[in-house]
Amino acid sequence: MQRNIRSGVTFGIIAGFMTFIFGGWSVAIIGVLYGVGLGLSLGGRLKREAPLGMASQALPTAASAGGVLLVMSLIQNYIVAPAIGQFPADPSVVIPANLAGVLGGFIFTLITVALHGLPEKQERMGKLILLAVIVVAFPFVDTFARLNWLAQFIFALIFVILGMGLNIVVGYAGLLDLGYAAFFAIGAYTTGIFSSPQHNIYLNFWLVIWIAAAMAATFGLILGAPTLPLRGDYLAIVTLGFGEIIPVVFRNLTDVTIQDPLTCWIIPGITRLFGGQSGMACITLLSHMDVTAGERGINPIGRPYLPIIGMFTNAQPIPWYFLIIAIILLTIFLVNRLRASRLGRAWMAIREDQLAASQMGIDPVRTKLLAFAMGATFSGFAGAFYAAYISGIFPDVFDFSASILILCTVILGGMGNIYGVIVGGLVLLTADRLFLPALKDFLSGLLNHTVLPALASNPTLRAAVAQNANPILYRYLLFGLTLVIMMAVRPEGLIPSAQRRMELHEADEVPNAAASTSMKS
Amino acid sequence: MLELKDVHTYYGNIHALKGISLNVEKGEIVTLIGSNGAGKSTTLRTIQGINRPRSGTILLEGEELEKLPPHEIAIRGVAQSPEGRMIFPRMTVMENLEMGAYARKDKTGMSDDLERVFKLFPRLKERIGQKGGTLSGGEQQMLAMGRALMARPRILLLDEPSMGLSPILVELIFEIIQTINKEGTTILLVEQNALMALSIANRGYVIQTGEIVLSDTAPRLKENEMVRKSYLGIE
Ligand SMILES: Nc1ncnc2c1ncn2[C@@H]1O[C@H](COP(=O)(O)OP(=O)(O)O)[C@@H](O)[C@H]1O
Ligand SMILES: [Mg+2]
Repeated sequence: MQRNIRSGVTFGIIAGFMTFIFGGWSVAIIGVLYGVGLGLSLGGRLKREAPLGMASQALPTAASAGGVLLVMSLIQNYIVAPAIGQFPADPSVVIPANLAGVLGGFIFTLITVALHGLPEKQERMGKLILLAVIVVAFPFVDTFARLNWLAQFIFALIFVILGMGLNIVVGYAGLLDLGYAAFFAIGAYTTGIFSSPQHNIYLNFWLVIWIAAAMAATFGLILGAPTLPLRGDYLAIVTLGFGEIIPVVFRNLTDVTIQDPLTCWIIPGITRLFGGQSGMACITLLSHMDVTAGERGINPIGRPYLPIIGMFTNAQPIPWYFLIIAIILLTIFLVNRLRASRLGRAWMAIREDQLAASQMGIDPVRTKLLAFAMGATFSGFAGAFYAAYISGIFPDVFDFSASILILCTVILGGMGNIYGVIVGGLVLLTADRLFLPALKDFLSGLLNHTVLPALASNPTLRAAVAQNANPILYRYLLFGLTLVIMMAVRPEGLIPSAQRRMELHEADEVPNAAASTSMKS
Repeated sequence: MLELKDVHTYYGNIHALKGISLNVEKGEIVTLIGSNGAGKSTTLRTIQGINRPRSGTILLEGEELEKLPPHEIAIRGVAQSPEGRMIFPRMTVMENLEMGAYARKDKTGMSDDLERVFKLFPRLKERIGQKGGTLSGGEQQMLAMGRALMARPRILLLDEPSMGLSPILVELIFEIIQTINKEGTTILLVEQNALMALSIANRGYVIQTGEIVLSDTAPRLKENEMVRKSYLGIE
């Protein structure tokens, strides 16, 4: 009991700090999310009984979480907000927002815990319904509360798809790919090329997204082929190279001329050899064509259109949100099917022991190539969505750091587990896209209104502080730190796959592993 | 059924198999005995396609195997319980057995075969959900053999199934090998434990530094002077 209350207080404090940073109505969403999070972590630990009994067991924890959250948000409203130069708290916002946050946290904790008291099938169903309600309600709450998180959150969802795709290659087949963003780039550029004024081609988005996926898959095969005989480290280095080459290629595909080799070089060459003059015209297939517009990028790019909703626009992120949710659901479905399929089992076997797998009749080359191609397919979807969503593409988006970011989401969430990867992508990317910018505003508000005035007597220090207090500058440092801490504390990731957990904790579970493999039964 | 004709295999410059010729007829247990480093495992690895022979032919019911990759050979009905067992350590016993049946085209009869494996190795049924890597040595040996049987192979290659096992367990494993054979599986058995191997085999070959030096029926090999001296430890 003591421990549960402590975890309630911890959750309340973390949620409270989030409201410090985001302020305003954010407490409503944060409250609900933390309620669900607390409920999930608590539900598994409590003694199992009927739903109502579960809820009453969780009452003290939920109450303490709610209480702490209330205190924290009041501190935010009346102490923090003035200190960072926001308007003094307006009771017409503070009261309903705090009420929604605290009650939301409290009620959702109880509901989530109560679900754990249902029979297993219904428990799963209940959790799914809860999740669906949150997913569907989120954009409307966001709009209503004027949080404006949605536009940035959609980027996080794009990386969720990328993470699931890379997870096929890294998590299932065990092939370390350090250049995965290349396939993302191929998907995005395919979309750009086929639906923009760049070439006056305007294919429908619903068609282009499949072309982009097919193109990415094709390049998965092409780039995969030469890397497959390589093992571990060498494979990683070659994929790293491809990841660097592809953006450079897109950057430089600005002046493409393709001439028919027969009429332009071979026949004139031969005639010249015999001292003659070829009268044949050189057939030029492409002349000085600007395929990708180099640094300028392709812009604008065609957007999806749906009958009732009309053309998707920048101003209205909700249709985009539901579109990417649909793509995520499709991806989850396909990846789960793949994992359970013959091919999925072959990936696992290859990852475990390639030689043994080949003795089972598994073709290692084909199996690994298909891992590259399937992984690339999903980044093709993501790339097409991305290109249409920002309606433009620029080569520097797809560099090495993008590949590493995707890899981080896979490692953070739990390699090999699709749900872990989803959570990893959400955590890392919302931190990057929402939390860090908010933290930046928070810090600069604090600096300008509280800290810098106090430093007025020391202009050099003042300038240095003002310049460096931007957490966005340190994003890769922060990602790195997160990974290092993660590897030390929970190397299997947030939600690990069973196999991965076993691999990392083998030593704990089998104290005499060495002895048991060699000696008697 | 399986025939090797003058097979030469190299590891770089090391001439490991210097013209091996042997054959296994349908329904037989044939054993290949020899001391450590003689080339027994290399012979099996060459049949399986993991090592490529530099010259010579390997025929499975008249079809040449020596140019095929390992997975193609597996699909044609050659299954092995390899040296070091090579089970999938992070898959459960059940998943390991399912992997064994990967190459099979007929998925019917899978459950019959599972039942058969569990009848031969009741121990595996008890451990059905346990990860392969956490099994004891004997259990891993059983799993490796069970997994090979799940392929319903035309010929089963066994590489030193007695290695590292207690005497009682060795007895048990050899009994099971006999049962498997009686149920209709052709077996090529590689052993250092010549006494046990010769007591269940129909015929045997003796390999020394990459060459076959003797071949005969098992009972006659048991009586052979050289075999008694070098492999049975009887003066
Ligand atoms: N991977 C390898 N690389 C180089 N030499 C090897 C390798 N494997 C086996 N050998 C050599 O080939 C010979 C036969 O080995 P092996 O077939 O494993 O013998 P056995 O199974 O009869 O004990 C030995 O001399 C061994 O040192
Ligand atoms: Mg050996």
